[in-house]
Amino acid sequence: MGRIVGIDLGTTNSLVAYVDAQTGRPKCIPGPSGSTLCPSVVSLDADGSVIVGEPARRRLLSQPERSIYSVKRLMGRGPVDVQNELKLFPFRIDPKSNHVIRVQLGDKVFTPPEISSFILRELKNWAEAYFGESVDRAVITVPAYFNDAQRQATKDAGKLAGLEVQRLVNEPTAAALAYGLHETQRGKVAVYDLGGGTFDISILKLIATTEGDIYQVLSTNGDTHLGGDDVDNLLQAFVHERILQTDQIDFSPHGELAQGLRKELIELKHKLSEADSATLRFLLPNGKLYIHEFTRGAFEALIRPVVDRTMMPVRQALADAQLKASEMDEVVLVGGTTRTPLIRRTVQEFFDRKPHTELNPDEVVALGAAVQANILDRGVQNMLLLDVTPLSLGIETYGGAVAKIIPRNSTIPASAQELYTTGVDNQTGIDIHVLQGERELAKDCRSLARFTLKVPTAPAGLPRIEVKFLIDANGILQVGAKDVRTGEQQVIEVQPSYGLNDNDIERMLEESIEYAEQDFAERQVIEARTEAEAILAATSKALANPNAAALNGEERARIDSSITALKSAVQGSDYKLIRRQIDELNHGTEHLAELLMNSAVQSALQGKNLAEV
Amino acid sequence: MTTSLPIANPPLVCWSCHERTVGTHFCSSCGKVLQVPEHTDYFSMFEFPRKLRLDMGTVEQKFLQLSWKLHPDNFVNATAEEREISLKRSSELNDAYRTLRDPVARVEYLLAIEGARKEGQNKQQAPPELLEEVFELNESLDELREAKTSGIDTVRLKQKLEAAERNFEEKLGEVDGQLQAAALDWDKAIEETAADKALRDSIKSRLNDLLNRRSYIRNLVVNVQKELL
Repeated sequence: MGRIVGIDLGTTNSLVAYVDAQTGRPKCIPGPSGSTLCPSVVSLDADGSVIVGEPARRRLLSQPERSIYSVKRLMGRGPVDVQNELKLFPFRIDPKSNHVIRVQLGDKVFTPPEISSFILRELKNWAEAYFGESVDRAVITVPAYFNDAQRQATKDAGKLAGLEVQRLVNEPTAAALAYGLHETQRGKVAVYDLGGGTFDISILKLIATTEGDIYQVLSTNGDTHLGGDDVDNLLQAFVHERILQTDQIDFSPHGELAQGLRKELIELKHKLSEADSATLRFLLPNGKLYIHEFTRGAFEALIRPVVDRTMMPVRQALADAQLKASEMDEVVLVGGTTRTPLIRRTVQEFFDRKPHTELNPDEVVALGAAVQANILDRGVQNMLLLDVTPLSLGIETYGGAVAKIIPRNSTIPASAQELYTTGVDNQTGIDIHVLQGERELAKDCRSLARFTLKVPTAPAGLPRIEVKFLIDANGILQVGAKDVRTGEQQVIEVQPSYGLNDNDIERMLEESIEYAEQDFAERQVIEARTEAEAILAATSKALANPNAAALNGEERARIDSSITALKSAVQGSDYKLIRRQIDELNHGTEHLAELLMNSAVQSALQGKNLAEV
Repeated sequence: MTTSLPIANPPLVCWSCHERTVGTHFCSSCGKVLQVPEHTDYFSMFEFPRKLRLDMGTVEQKFLQLSWKLHPDNFVNATAEEREISLKRSSELNDAYRTLRDPVARVEYLLAIEGARKEGQNKQQAPPELLEEVFELNESLDELREAKTSGIDTVRLKQKLEAAERNFEEKLGEVDGQLQAAALDWDKAIEETAADKALRDSIKSRLNDLLNRRSYIRNLVVNVQKELL
């Protein structure tokens, strides 16, 4: 068995963490660039290879039609659900999508779990490079308010990335774990988690028992489509409107122009967390420079609706926990968007206490996931997490009403049994429709699945089929049925309303193996190309130096031919050839490097290549 | 299922070591987590007698103590069979805790396992002594709906309904008081082992009537609240 890690699969950034065996503390693992943040951006190269993270983020500007960000917003959702998002996000949904969304990247289509699996695979690679050994299991975090389909989609993504998902942990709960380990806390804790695309509020009770600490979630609420993205959208809509009026330029969300502006506005937003004002300078296609100064006050007035939208779930979560804001002992802020001073102030005023912000809000969820991964790996020792299901589980009854069988905020695992019989003689099946949500009518709740119970031929009312609905520790529904009279168990094939079925997953797994091989080769190519570009740039700079004139003709010819050979190798995707040509050029330019050295340090630098000088 | 004395689960055979075991949750012989016997109810899971008045501190303590042992986190590296049992056991533990800590759900559950819960056809019928008030309330609700569609001023109607809502909320409080009194009687009847079956049956039937009455009034209140929103 390989290593286990904790992964925060975020809307904007994703991270991977582990618990250091020596210190017992969780730690985030850096990627090749040294940063622990992997932008949740995926881009498909023209040659079919997949690019993830920072390189993909840069391609949002140069190749928007082959790149996608914020894919978490599409997880476990159907095409109808995301119509509003399409006005604001450059998602290209395949018109042939039915119950599962398919996104176009270049000339290919992928489901959201597949795109998320590329991100997970990248993080798996980071961890494997860091440990020097294989990583095959993970705890992945999800927004607490994620429904069954969104959770299942996340689990599918893990499987497609070659990871055994040992547990899905709710993000605010993970954050509470990380904080609990950071500094022992007791009593009632509110975790306010506003990320890039999702908002969660969880109310926990931290209980010290003789066996150890129990983190019991009392209630949770939230909005799976509310976050920093919405702040960006408000800013963008505001500026689009302005530019439309002054310069009659229309922004389509798909274009390079909109992506370029969005990038500037995100930087502006970050600046306004520190400074009292910041200025947007954006070059328009008509050559005009658009300048707009935002004061902190104007910015806050603009984003106030987003902050207000978070407060309804906060009140509901408190009501469900039967607690008042003043009864909370601690308040914890999680998620990058809580860096915004307006949010800090609003939360502080509401709870009348200074919220905790000691841990990096970007890293804290991944750290908590690592803690839970460690617990699962080594067995429960001194910490136990008791989480809840965020939404009520119900079944459709006559007339389209919903009978709630597991109420929201029930501790999970949770179950409910229902007894079914037939209405007419010799009826062969009973159709069951499972839903999630708080509304009274089936049409207003989230459809999870439909299935048909097989019934033995008998007069009406005689068969007795007991159906067991179980929400497991991941918050995912399992269904089982048995004939009460015979005791015979029935295997139920559940068709998820908005998810992949087993056949889809099998097919995608086969395809993903293909991508896995490509992934490795692709990484090598990208790294070799980057290095080649660096040495080519350094060489041409060195050749322009007057001291380069001292090279003899043969040396100069060798360098020139090596440059040509490397440039042509970079055009292809044979990374071994690129490496060979890099070495060749390095050799050829040794004398050139020496020539450029100051004579005083020359001896110290002998044998170095140009890029290192 | 008529015995109401403190329950010790009867001995059974462990699925893993096949020895006879006397443990409630774990095999007394090999220590493996046990399947729930078909007849185990929430009270015996917590090793409580079937009493209706419970000390919440004790219930919570017992719940947390069992959670440590039964939670699936403990079984991630166990066999598939043990994982399956742990999932089932911990979900039942959570179901039990959810039921036992809610005073109304607790009564409902007790009556169900005693075979004395009868919603019957009375569910939609108003208790006779409330008939007049319910009739009046429904009339006001109809008037309000009509007024809403025709755009007539609804202030006076709403005030009337708010008064009715308060009235029924009060009645709900009364029923809750009566339920508590009946629960007390039940617990006494259990303590006195000499208490006869007839007495217990009459208390159960009283509890059942109170539950039906409660759910009827509760529905009324919810309906009024919906219209007043």
